[in-house]
Amino acid sequence: MQHLTEQELVLHHYHDEDSPAAVTQHLAACDVCRAEYGSIQKVLALVDEMPVPERAGGYGEQVWSRLRWKLGSTRRRKTWRSALAAAAVLAIAFFAGQWWNARSGERRPSAVLTSTGQPGAAALHNTPATQNRILFVVVTDHLDSTERMLLQVANADAKLGLDLTSERGRAEELVASNRIYRQTAEQRGDDRLASVLSDLEPVLQEIAHLDGKLSPDEAASLQKRIDSKGLLFKVRVISAQTSGQETSPAAPPQKGMTSL
Amino acid sequence: MQTTDAATVSRARAGDSDAFRLLVEQHSRPVFRVAYRMTGNEHDADDVVQETFLRVYRQLDRFQERANFGTWLHRIAINCALDLLRSRGRIDRHYGGDPEEAEMTGAASTDPQQDRLLLSAELRDQVAAAMERLSGNERTAFVLRHFEGMPVEEIGKTLGIQVNAAKHTIFRAVRKLRESLEPFVRSSTCNI
Repeated sequence: MQHLTEQELVLHHYHDEDSPAAVTQHLAACDVCRAEYGSIQKVLALVDEMPVPERAGGYGEQVWSRLRWKLGSTRRRKTWRSALAAAAVLAIAFFAGQWWNARSGERRPSAVLTSTGQPGAAALHNTPATQNRILFVVVTDHLDSTERMLLQVANADAKLGLDLTSERGRAEELVASNRIYRQTAEQRGDDRLASVLSDLEPVLQEIAHLDGKLSPDEAASLQKRIDSKGLLFKVRVISAQTSGQETSPAAPPQKGMTSL
Repeated sequence: MQTTDAATVSRARAGDSDAFRLLVEQHSRPVFRVAYRMTGNEHDADDVVQETFLRVYRQLDRFQERANFGTWLHRIAINCALDLLRSRGRIDRHYGGDPEEAEMTGAASTDPQQDRLLLSAELRDQVAAAMERLSGNERTAFVLRHFEGMPVEEIGKTLGIQVNAAKHTIFRAVRKLRESLEPFVRSSTCNI
């Protein structure tokens, strides 16, 4: 009598064989194959001993609560692209305004140049109030999104390492928009905002260029950099200032004040 | 696809976040089970669950409504788990791995009930070690067939291999498990 192969017995266990009746018939008549089959069943029963930790009924809610803000950032990607385009348009409009004023200044120097020979405030806030408010909205949104990313890093348990690979795309977008806002702030003489955005840029760039999961040491080092520069605090303060100006009428910008 | 899933997926695709929330709440536990069996680690399994739903959300537009949402979700979960295992280079221990538990296992005991518990813990470690010896494909094929009861045709599709190759992969997994666990089966049969 030709015995069944080990593969045939395994397939029989899972009911995956081509002719189950023939295998069943053979097993009924063959002690050797029956013993072999019994041995396979015992091993597989032992594998069943492997327990799976039960998750409580509220597990789905926990997953959702951790997931929801990440989904928000995913959903807002298209918005971010639009915001970037809007910021670019506003920057172009700003530079065009400056160029126009400079040309006007060539014709009427006394009207726009201060006694020190520097361009006066009138040349710097040539954009309409509505344009300023749009800019406040996008900058506040940018700071809000940046704060969430920094919080995710700051609140992570560094001992477990940190996987930010899913955040790289968002970080890249933040780097791009951060650069535009920083340059615009510098052009407008808003040193305070420009300085905070300048501090944020290297951290965002680091997250954008991460290659795989951070080791516990690397995660701790990133957290330390965020902490040592007080980035979260600065972002919150500047964010509060810009969001306060979203709705207020445009005021003439002053050196060192958040005027964007 | 279940009628409720079909309707919910449809709403989620239209941008209804409450519908997506419902899908997350309904499917998190089954996804966790398959993730845990593949990774053998609770923390990793939780990460896989998160990553799975994130990918599902990003790929909802690609989901074909005639397909089975549960099957699609399972495939994504399995891919996430495989990605995680690959990223680790299979260096981490996938099953067991609690140092305190390992210490307990090694402790001497005269209490028969405690002996049984220790033996049970030892059994778990043996199964863990045996599972760890499987390749990524073998582990996936075995978990899907043995624990999830997925048909071999479906396993073949998931792994991108022919049905016969899927059957052979499962067989190879069982053979490796036998090699590792058969001596232990004999000893546990004698002891218990």
